[in-house]
Amino acid sequence: MKTIRDIGLLFHRYTLQMLRNPVWLFVGFSTPILYLALFTPLLKHFAGVPGFPKGSVLDVFLPGILSLLAFASGSSMGFSTIFELQTGVIERFRVTPASRFAILIGPILSGLMMMMVFDTVVVAVGYGFGFQVHWLGLLLLAVLLGILAGMMAAFSIATALVTKDISSFAAIINGINLPLLLLAGVLLPISLGPLWMRVIAHFNPLYYLVQASRALAVGSFSSPAVWQAFAVLVPLCAVVLLWATRVFRKAVA
Amino acid sequence: MNTIISTTDLKKSFGSKRGPIEAVRGISIEVGRGEIFGFLGPNGAGKTTTLRMLTTLLPIDSGSATVAGVDVASQPKLVRARIGYVSQLGGADDLATGRENLILQGRLYGGDLASVTARAETLMEILDLTEFADRRVKTYSGGQRRRLDVALGIVHEPEVLFLDEPSTGLDPQNRANLWEHVRMLQARGTTIFLTTHYLEEADALCDRLMIIDHGQIVIEGSPRDLKREVAGDAVVLNLHDSDSVVARARTLLTEQPYVREVSVEGDGLRLYVEDGSTALPQLMRLLDSERIAIKSISLSEPTLDDVFLRKTGRSLRDAGTNSKEDAA
Repeated sequence: MKTIRDIGLLFHRYTLQMLRNPVWLFVGFSTPILYLALFTPLLKHFAGVPGFPKGSVLDVFLPGILSLLAFASGSSMGFSTIFELQTGVIERFRVTPASRFAILIGPILSGLMMMMVFDTVVVAVGYGFGFQVHWLGLLLLAVLLGILAGMMAAFSIATALVTKDISSFAAIINGINLPLLLLAGVLLPISLGPLWMRVIAHFNPLYYLVQASRALAVGSFSSPAVWQAFAVLVPLCAVVLLWATRVFRKAVA
Repeated sequence: MNTIISTTDLKKSFGSKRGPIEAVRGISIEVGRGEIFGFLGPNGAGKTTTLRMLTTLLPIDSGSATVAGVDVASQPKLVRARIGYVSQLGGADDLATGRENLILQGRLYGGDLASVTARAETLMEILDLTEFADRRVKTYSGGQRRRLDVALGIVHEPEVLFLDEPSTGLDPQNRANLWEHVRMLQARGTTIFLTTHYLEEADALCDRLMIIDHGQIVIEGSPRDLKREVAGDAVVLNLHDSDSVVARARTLLTEQPYVREVSVEGDGLRLYVEDGSTALPQLMRLLDSERIAIKSISLSEPTLDDVFLRKTGRSLRDAGTNSKEDAA
């Protein structure tokens, strides 16, 4: 009960901090819209090309943007952790009797909520460009996006607590992000690539999310990509959360 | 003495590439209820490490600590509810207002919104923050921010307030203002445990203090007792002549029975004598007979730096710079 109350308080605090940061808000909203507006037109002639998934260009590209958002918003969570370590905020919370779990999960939940807001904007803008909305598919996709973002956030925060300084944290996160993003087919489907790329992609958890997101966006629930994504991401998320909680307990005893 | 903080042989070491570093090597403290107790020492002496152990932020390697009647190692949660802690960094949210900061902090300590809101109001009055209550913290001056940090530390009316280097980064005026507020908190019944590397702060504020160096206790007592018992009176002597004369004077003075200690300070000498008023004429006669010309001679009240210097052989003002704590 007390934990839930503490989660609520810290969720509220973190959300307020984000809403009061106009630069962050502007970048958060404009990035997905820029992708939609400036990248989609380049793909116009891809529809129907061999290797390109079925459906309109937006059906392929918009889910990729949603996956990218989930990945990026999760993995960037550690930056504010570093900031809060360096400004003494985390220490201030640690000497209060507030639940340790709440200190970890409050910001993550707030980040997830903001991500859902951005996702809604992307879908709404996509709709304006002619994206076909499959409600049930999007709902299930939202669950998957939440799992991936939550996992990445826990990973990112734990990494921040271990490294403690911005330059090594940024190096690690960027070093991991780029290959994962490139090998997931976020912008252009991996199916366009050579065999070796398609094989390596199977070792990338983000790949499964991207594949499932494209299936769910067009409402094909029976696609094997959907259950595969759950089968890969749910256990992985559990493992990462367990590790992150251990790191957090140790660092924030 | 009604003891509120007590530690026995507290120790802490950290691993490093060159083997473990013993940051705190067996510190035993007794702090009475209602005292302002100071922990004085150069940067890197182990002050912050000790404080972090007492406030549940660092696990204790060995030894024991009891704060407000609760064992720190076995019941950290209970300790947290009874103490307040203001770190060097403060840690208020820049993007929130002072009032919002206080209300969140109070609620994290378990208070309900109505009582926490009222408490925030009172605290802002006590610490002269009412005027800035609804401004975002990022617009606060250094002194205002520090007072807010203190308010955040006492929002739940703790029995003990820990202040880590409270006046670092404050100008003299704001420092004096902060001291006044700390004394007022004491008058309201809060026990205050503070660390500082400012001699003036320890001297002006603390009822009792402990000087520590290299993780060990150097000496303990009230500022007045320490100065009187340890240091004696200090005489500062400036000579007209060259270094060789200064050296000769030093040798000569060291031999005198009433001189406890001589050190070179700038162009002159600094000596500690049992009793300044009788030593001065003796000194002048002696130097005159040896034809050493005096430029100026002055008797100064001993400072805590004199205490530190006599106990460790170093000046607190020079000690421990470029240390780890300094960089943090």
